[in-house]
Amino acid sequence: MWQSLFMKEWLKLRWYFTAAFLVHLGAALKILLDIRQIILMEHGEMVWYQAIHLHTLFYGPLRYLPLITGLVLAAAQFMPEVSGRRMRISLHLPMDQNRMLFLCLLAGLFHLGVLAVLDLLLTAAILLWYFPHELALASLPTLLPWINAGFIAYLGAVHLLLEPSWPRRVFYALVFTALSSLHFAGSGYGWLTPALPFFLLLSPLALLGVLDTGRRFRQGGVS
Amino acid sequence: MNAIEVQNLCHRYKGKSVYEDLSFSVPRGSVCGLLGKNGQGKTTLVNILMGFLKPVSGRCLVLGENSHNLSPSLRKRVGLLHEGHQAYEFMTIAQTETFFSRWYPDWNRDIFYDLVNRMGLSPGHKIRQMSCGQRSQVVLGVIMAQNPDLLILDDYSMGLDAGYRRLFLDVLHDFVAAGDKTVFVTSHIVQDLEQLVDTLLFLDQGRITQTPLKDFMTSFKKFTFTAEKGQVLQKDTVITGLEQRGNRITLYTYGEMDDLKSHLAGLGIRPKDLQQSPMSLEDGFIGLMGKY
Repeated sequence: MWQSLFMKEWLKLRWYFTAAFLVHLGAALKILLDIRQIILMEHGEMVWYQAIHLHTLFYGPLRYLPLITGLVLAAAQFMPEVSGRRMRISLHLPMDQNRMLFLCLLAGLFHLGVLAVLDLLLTAAILLWYFPHELALASLPTLLPWINAGFIAYLGAVHLLLEPSWPRRVFYALVFTALSSLHFAGSGYGWLTPALPFFLLLSPLALLGVLDTGRRFRQGGVS
Repeated sequence: MNAIEVQNLCHRYKGKSVYEDLSFSVPRGSVCGLLGKNGQGKTTLVNILMGFLKPVSGRCLVLGENSHNLSPSLRKRVGLLHEGHQAYEFMTIAQTETFFSRWYPDWNRDIFYDLVNRMGLSPGHKIRQMSCGQRSQVVLGVIMAQNPDLLILDDYSMGLDAGYRRLFLDVLHDFVAAGDKTVFVTSHIVQDLEQLVDTLLFLDQGRITQTPLKDFMTSFKKFTFTAEKGQVLQKDTVITGLEQRGNRITLYTYGEMDDLKSHLAGLGIRPKDLQQSPMSLEDGFIGLMGKY
């Protein structure tokens, strides 16, 4: 039955996911072209100075991309369910309702995860092509908070879409905006690396929170 | 054994009471129609029965399980038609069949395609691009192919023309004829239910009245007469419902002709051409519940 649920989620996500995949590929291409241009235009010492001393991040186009992708995928997946409270169709399926919602979220997070892996691999590959591996690998802990912000944005958007009460929606909007914006604090390599374990804990917590919001959605007042 | 059992149900919405102490039961194998004017809480009741709303108090059992916590195995036995024939609009006909077939062990693909193929649409046709009537056929196909023990239909007639409504009734007739199936249906086209239901539930201002259709159609009566100019009638203990167009009066009562004659005489009314008229279920509904 979970295959059937994943098929449903894929049908909703496929065009948005394909578009996001192309945009992420485009972002990687832009990073490649930007680095190539800097290296062609500047002296090697200058590029080195920018990278090591100024902590210039050559993968800036990726900064907000996972966050935007998370919001888009959440909307693509859950807008068709909440409009007209169509999610009642899924909630009537013969499966534990929490498990059903959890599997739907897992499907969305999986698609987001695929894009995150794509970002990490392509960025690492591009940087390894031009820079020493120490510098290339230092990009990964810098990228991780941005990627995690995508997961938080996805789960926050699902909270907002499923939550039937307006005061709670406003509360969630504030909380998830604050949590997401924390992931973009500071600048330079690995600025947020010490806080990363705490950031990574946020996603499972938000995932559990969606189940409670889902419970309220099930019982949310329709006269 | 009852398919649905509601005891002392109380519910409030935004502080306003929807039901107070509502009790009724739907026996297994019966076809029960829930009738009420707009805003009386028919959809709310369906939502409570399906666990989508938690009542303030009271007990609702569906096939023996608490409606607030229906198990997956029980949901498998309940075919549910949501108000507005809700379907996954991003799916095609074939995807809808594939999706739902995996959830129900008794799924009958032939029943689904028998209903859907009548529309002459290709299996690749998107639900989003269908009319309300066409969508209703797909939804009907889904719930019929499940072979449920209990069908709950929330305003199945909404947005359907006469042809699609008749088709719906034909399918429901065949479903009930298969035996030991229970149908709980609400519709705003009251007249259609006359051909389908055996039990009526009238929901009015938070109170419910349950009666077999046959009893209602024989005990509740419609009379027409012409009154003298200027005479105005009011509802009372004998006159349950009343419609007045000029001097022409239609009234509804549980009483007999003789009772009515003496009652009208007591009120000083001298009816001209008083006669009992044939009453449809819609007439009876208006007579009992009023127009607004």
